[in-house]
Amino acid sequence: MLRSTTLQRLRPAVFRVQRWNSTTTSAPKPSTTHSDIVVVGGGPAGLTIAAALKHYPETVNKSVTLVEFGSLDNLKTWGPDMERFENRVSSLTPSSVEYLTKIGVWEHVNRDRVQAYRHMTAWDGVSGSKVQFNTTQLMGEGRDIAYMTENFNLQNGLLKQLANKPNLTILDKTKVEGVERTPESHNKPLVKLSNGSTISTDLLIGADGANSPVRTFSGIEARGWDYNTHGLVATVRLANEQQSAWQRFLPTGPIALLPLPNRFGSLVWSTTPKMAAQLKQLTPEQFVMMVNCAFNLEPTDIEYLVEHPDEIMTDAPYRLSQRSSNPDVPCPIVAVQDKSRASFPLKMKHADTYIAENVALVGDAAHTTHPLAGQGLNMGQGDAQSLAIAIRNAAGRGADIGSTLTLEPYWADQYFKNHKLLGVVDKLHKLYSTRNPLVVGLRSLGLDAVNSVKPVKDFLMSQAS
Amino acid sequence: MFRTVPKTTLLAPIQRRTLLNGNYPKAYPEHVPLTCLGRAVLAVGSGFGTFFDSRRGDLVATLGEATAQPYFIYKLREQMLKDPTGRRLLREQPRMTSKSLDLDKLRNMKVGSIGRTYVEWLDKEGVSPDTRAQVRYIDDPECAYVMQRYRESHDFYHALTGLPIIMEGELALKAFEWANTGLPMSGLGMVLTPLKFKPKQRKRYFDVYLPWALYNGFRSKPVINVYWEEVLEKDAEELRRDLGIEQPPDLRQMKKDMAKKK
Repeated sequence: MLRSTTLQRLRPAVFRVQRWNSTTTSAPKPSTTHSDIVVVGGGPAGLTIAAALKHYPETVNKSVTLVEFGSLDNLKTWGPDMERFENRVSSLTPSSVEYLTKIGVWEHVNRDRVQAYRHMTAWDGVSGSKVQFNTTQLMGEGRDIAYMTENFNLQNGLLKQLANKPNLTILDKTKVEGVERTPESHNKPLVKLSNGSTISTDLLIGADGANSPVRTFSGIEARGWDYNTHGLVATVRLANEQQSAWQRFLPTGPIALLPLPNRFGSLVWSTTPKMAAQLKQLTPEQFVMMVNCAFNLEPTDIEYLVEHPDEIMTDAPYRLSQRSSNPDVPCPIVAVQDKSRASFPLKMKHADTYIAENVALVGDAAHTTHPLAGQGLNMGQGDAQSLAIAIRNAAGRGADIGSTLTLEPYWADQYFKNHKLLGVVDKLHKLYSTRNPLVVGLRSLGLDAVNSVKPVKDFLMSQAS
Repeated sequence: MFRTVPKTTLLAPIQRRTLLNGNYPKAYPEHVPLTCLGRAVLAVGSGFGTFFDSRRGDLVATLGEATAQPYFIYKLREQMLKDPTGRRLLREQPRMTSKSLDLDKLRNMKVGSIGRTYVEWLDKEGVSPDTRAQVRYIDDPECAYVMQRYRESHDFYHALTGLPIIMEGELALKAFEWANTGLPMSGLGMVLTPLKFKPKQRKRYFDVYLPWALYNGFRSKPVINVYWEEVLEKDAEELRRDLGIEQPPDLRQMKKDMAKKK
């Protein structure tokens, strides 16, 4: 979903750039090579665009260099047993999977570790009104709502697909230290790397996360706000096999439980930074109890118990026993995987534009969103697909792949689509973070209406996938 | 032919399910499941009854239950859930009766203690903890307990504040309760009943008791969270201080003083 490494990755990069810019004007030029396309970032979006470019006959001969700050060694050899699941998991929509299949990536993804789901329940933690989605009713038999996939599994599949591709260089453990344009380079980007080399390129693609150095170098502003909320993720063990996704909207933020194979579940609990810190400090037993409380008890109850961890094991079982078995609530959680609890701040951010002359931004570099709709990674996949097609079309015509004219269709395709989604998610977050009884009443009425009017539900489902 | 039809068969369908009687299962033995309309009719009926005869404790209790749901009783339970003692009360669900409280033991407690003040107040007013009605119309069993606890604690509020059960005292306490618990019945009583007051009563109420009640009700900690059974030995003045309540002027004394002035 989000990559926490981007934050630490960033600041030194920006700092060094300025130093480099000021010292190199008089220094002799370092060794410069050319690569038609440079992709910065080895996350799902960056790897997908590389895989897509290597898939199309029009672009397969373009030289591509992928630069990643971290090490990809662990990702290449990744393959844990079925008793461990990663805590960074994304819900891939059918259209994301369709494209990954088309470019030959999906067959390299370990399908035993992917969990499809066909039911989804979301409900209001204050009023209890709910909406249920069920693909077998809505979109015909055989359709899934989405596929729960570990981000590592997807990246591992992408790297397998990219192995031994011609004209592709993957430089990991390498930092982008600066981007410069000079008259000698015909104003095309010169990417200065931490290994001392410089690459000139026709198209620089920034897939380098929420604090994208490429975006900063390109002078593209990204606007938005901090939700003052942290997303706590964890891998949990469920009492029995599940094929449903669950999300409960609490005033502090939504808590979602998504199914993984082998009775595992992926938990995303958005809450106040303070509460997230407290939840991470609980013992595994307390944490498991707390998660079960979060799906069953009143918001006040949950907040009290988090504040009084000593009472969790004594008071919470009684509180839970007072709730008669509610079919809308997921099955109990029985354990939390060791060291799987992590949290990160949630932000809404959208770049002013995705393209500039010889530059394109994709994925988190272009937009970040609240995880409540599970769309962050899918938006990046959509970007990669759209940008790859734009480049393919230009390459097929023999046009300049870096010109804004080439990149314009990508921007036109994705910008407003993403903007709409960011807006909807942002409003949903705000709508559900209040306890004002009038707002709660109205939103519950609205949710009940959505739940009972089939065409509205159909429309929402088609929008989500 | 008419004679052969037993009365019960004519009444039976009404008992099973009507516009007013909900057909959902009972959540606790004394529960009377109502529809929304049923609750509204009950509220209006008991409201009128209470307005014209405020001595009808049963009607006051019914009005309280009919107007507390939805929302208000849940808010009150939330106040209990926020407090360790309130949570313990919800878990243990103690009931107050003349037996569980052992009134004779309370009579022997030291002067000024909560228990002694409470029993003196009971004796002075000639009431008993057993005169409190059973909650029937609240749907959630836990909320029903909250209502029951509120009702049973009511006499302790009298003891805590020293307000008598004449109309003005009762009303001042209602206002205090409204500010403190948010239950609408208390608010209705506070606003509507003064319409029946004589001018002198009204002046006393608006000048002294209502401001006292609202100020202290809003300011003090939620009194629903007091575990009365455990603070019986405690000094009333000390408990008032803990909760942040000032004692109001003695209403009966004030009445006498005003009568003398004339």
